[in-house]
Amino acid sequence: MESNHYDVVVVGAGLSGLTAAGVAACQGLRVALVATGPGSFVLGSGYLKTQEILAAGPADELSEAIAFFCEMAQAAGCPFEGQFSSSRHLPTILGDFQSVTFAPRPLWNAEPRNDTSTAIVGIRELSYFDENFMAERLSDQARLLGSSCTYSARQISLARSCGAPTTTLRIAKRFDYDAGFRAELIEALRPAAAGFVRVLVPGMLGLCSREQQIAQFESELGCTVCELPTLPPSIPGLRLFHLLSRHLSKLGVELLQGFPVSKLQIQDGVCMELEVASPGHPMVLRGECAVLATGQHSSTLLGVDCNGHDEQMHPLTSSGSVMAGNLFVAGTALPGSSGSSGDVMEILTGHRAGSFAAATRGHYAAR
Amino acid sequence: MKSTQVVIIGGGATGAGILWDLSLRGISAILLEQGDIANGATGRCHGLLHSGARYVAKDLETARDCLAENRIIKTIAPHCVEDIGGLMVQCPQDDPAFFEQWWRAAGDADIPSRRLNAEEALALEPNLAANILGAFTCPDAHVDVFRLVLANIEAAVGRGARFHTYSKVNSIQSADGRVRGVGYSNTLTGEKHEIACEVVINAAGGWAQEAAALAGVEVPVRCDKGTLLVLNHRPSSRVINRCRKSGDGDILVPAGPVCILGTSSMSVPGPDGLTASPEEINYLLQLGAELIPGVADARILRIFCGARALYVPAKVDSAGGREISRSYALFDHETLGGVGGFISIVGGKLTTYRLMAAAVCDCVAGKLGVQSECTTGKVPLRPVDDCKAHRRINELLPLPVAEKMERRLGPAVTRVIEAIDARPELAELVCECEMVTRAELEYVLGEASPIPAQTIADIGRRTRLGFGPCQGTFCGYRAMLAGFQTHRWTASQAAKEFSSYLHERWKGQALIQEGKQVEQLDLSHELYGADLSTCAYSGEPDGK
Ligand SMILES: Cc1cc2nc3c(=O)[nH]c(=O)nc-3n(C[C@H](O)[C@H](O)[C@H](O)COP(=O)(O)OP(=O)(O)OC[C@H]3O[C@@H](n4cnc5c(N)ncnc54)[C@H](O)[C@@H]3O)c2cc1C
Repeated sequence: MESNHYDVVVVGAGLSGLTAAGVAACQGLRVALVATGPGSFVLGSGYLKTQEILAAGPADELSEAIAFFCEMAQAAGCPFEGQFSSSRHLPTILGDFQSVTFAPRPLWNAEPRNDTSTAIVGIRELSYFDENFMAERLSDQARLLGSSCTYSARQISLARSCGAPTTTLRIAKRFDYDAGFRAELIEALRPAAAGFVRVLVPGMLGLCSREQQIAQFESELGCTVCELPTLPPSIPGLRLFHLLSRHLSKLGVELLQGFPVSKLQIQDGVCMELEVASPGHPMVLRGECAVLATGQHSSTLLGVDCNGHDEQMHPLTSSGSVMAGNLFVAGTALPGSSGSSGDVMEILTGHRAGSFAAATRGHYAAR
Repeated sequence: MKSTQVVIIGGGATGAGILWDLSLRGISAILLEQGDIANGATGRCHGLLHSGARYVAKDLETARDCLAENRIIKTIAPHCVEDIGGLMVQCPQDDPAFFEQWWRAAGDADIPSRRLNAEEALALEPNLAANILGAFTCPDAHVDVFRLVLANIEAAVGRGARFHTYSKVNSIQSADGRVRGVGYSNTLTGEKHEIACEVVINAAGGWAQEAAALAGVEVPVRCDKGTLLVLNHRPSSRVINRCRKSGDGDILVPAGPVCILGTSSMSVPGPDGLTASPEEINYLLQLGAELIPGVADARILRIFCGARALYVPAKVDSAGGREISRSYALFDHETLGGVGGFISIVGGKLTTYRLMAAAVCDCVAGKLGVQSECTTGKVPLRPVDDCKAHRRINELLPLPVAEKMERRLGPAVTRVIEAIDARPELAELVCECEMVTRAELEYVLGEASPIPAQTIADIGRRTRLGFGPCQGTFCGYRAMLAGFQTHRWTASQAAKEFSSYLHERWKGQALIQEGKQVEQLDLSHELYGADLSTCAYSGEPDGK
């Protein structure tokens, strides 16, 4: 087999693309994942909202897809936790609470808990996360929810190691590679955390830190630490992206990141090739089948007019016929779909498209 | 009770121009505006400082007025004008006889113009459609409407005039056939106030009929809706007009980092609750693409509508929107058998606001027996800057930031520079697109600015914060935190304010169907929750 030949080529590394690639890889297929960069979920909070779960249906398929995703995330080192039947409250960037069904396990620690004294710790060199705003808002909102949880604001300075001003991204990177910085952060947090059961900080605890690493950080500090949402990029979102990518790579998925797929070669109802706009000479990928999870908001899919998709996730032409039997779409921004973006739909359609794609195994091999 | 000689209803260009003119004549005045500055047509218009080119073939008089005012505004308010020039483009789809008619008329009106062949025009504006036949140049320009209104008000306030935003006039008192005062309420707090005065001026634009009704009189105006699309970049460096009988979608005005395409013309019952239909938007885009093909693929940042208040003389009442003259009318209701001391000014254009203001103020001066002459055509709106601040600003801020800020703030830049000198962290950018620093934001929110911003949208009108691609998703949040940190708002007030700000910004994007801005909007929904749960929990918790 040629080196650029795959069983499945997945385009797009949002939640739908990552899930689709995961589904195919788990079935032992040779998978390439091509993407310009991470998907839009790295901008959001990294939770699966209850509202989206309820809107997603059908229940069986959804629970299968979510179970698959949770397993994949667990194996990647960022376990998701939750139950379909229960929804709990997590803070938003505006300092109110939203109903969430699944979330990375450590993030659940931001829930309002009765009689739990919580410090919200801001960082002087970090603008646009305001601990006073968050503490005032969350205290008010917790009261409205009938919780006796109290939030107090504290501030620390990282001037010594970060200079002023800094960003959560910069802090997260230091957190990943610099043990000295982590120790310093713990020292800075210790007085702020004194007397509190929990400490909430802006999302910044590493881009690649697995659950164990965060747990270790907590045990050294001697207090539960949890991250709050910030303006994008969301560090917990990026963390999920990085860990899932690494995990897929371990499963043998080839990650081709940084360049867009610019063209699909479709002939006689079969997608033959995908062209990647790598600088210099374009790279050509051949796949027995392809999953487009590009999240484009336009009525054309990579230059081809598209009008929604059929039940098997095949994109349809403007006249309503299947574009190519070995071409699938996933994501929430599908042409013709009315849904607004939602991580849950991403996972559901990614799982579905990945499964259909995997099932074509052998059908198009003879080309 | 407060008292003054004149109360002006309406803080658009016309009202602001009147306030400045009166202050130069030494007549005391208070302007009451129900929203923020430029809340009506002024803030929703194209921002084309007409050179008369668009009207010259139909209405020589209006064209002459525009040309004269175009020159005056460029000299009295250079900081509000981007003097980019314009082209009247000849498209193959249009009537060639009109081109010649236009050329003759432009000569009659003394509009400085050159005739360009297609090659010359394309050399100036390479993004124009390749099939154009040629173009005429004209001295059109872009005017920043918010800055123009603000400049008039700031200058007037500097001479003792008063200006209140979020103050809606809801009654006019009169006795013995003369106005005696007005009652108004604060639209944010509900507080009620009264002012005693001798003259009331109705400069309420699309709301002129409502305002006139408060004095028991009528004015003949009709509201005409126009829709405008804000595109992400500047495909042309000049104003692009289509050389034909005025129609839809035939003007493109570059404005700062973006450009504005429009407009349509449609009769509507009133100025409130205007929206555009998807058909209208597609139609405008299609027409825009006939001039500049790239427009079809441009990223639309937002869509907005404004209502022109057209003056309808009784005899042309049956004609459609564009057939009605765009010139203005002044009604001295005293001489029309109505209440004394009540004057309405309707119609006109942004470009002619100063002229309209002058006419009104002449009439007011006559009533008050004040001997005076209009000097607004000669007195610059902003005093010449102080060079010391200039030098310091370049040491503290990168050049493009410094330039933008100086243009926006003028002499007030000194205060902002002092603030940054004292607290260097205030040099941080809050809005990257329009390069607004934290210091500038705190200045417009603070009591030191002549008309302090009350809301996040007010901050936008003063600094252009949130006018770029993020449409406030990031910078609006930062502005909210700044308001909280400077104790302008409590946390819950801040969150509530931000929610209503975002809802307005979302409305302007909701009609966009495709492309990058849709992703941007999705991101905004995702970040803050499309239903903005803040509103659901609304208000203060118990006990506060
Ligand atoms: C789509 C469109 C594009 C345009 N493009 C251009 C252009 O490119 N160039 C140009 O020269 N002209 C243009 N115009 C025309 C121009 O916008 C208007 O002529 C001009 O702005 C009118 O200013 P104004 O102050 O008279 O009215 P407005 O700006 O409408 O001001 C009236 C004000 O009165 C306030 N008000 C009303 N009732 C009350 C009350 N009871 N109490 C307190 N306040 C009250 C309103 O809130 C409003 O702010 C355009 C108009 C539209 C609609």
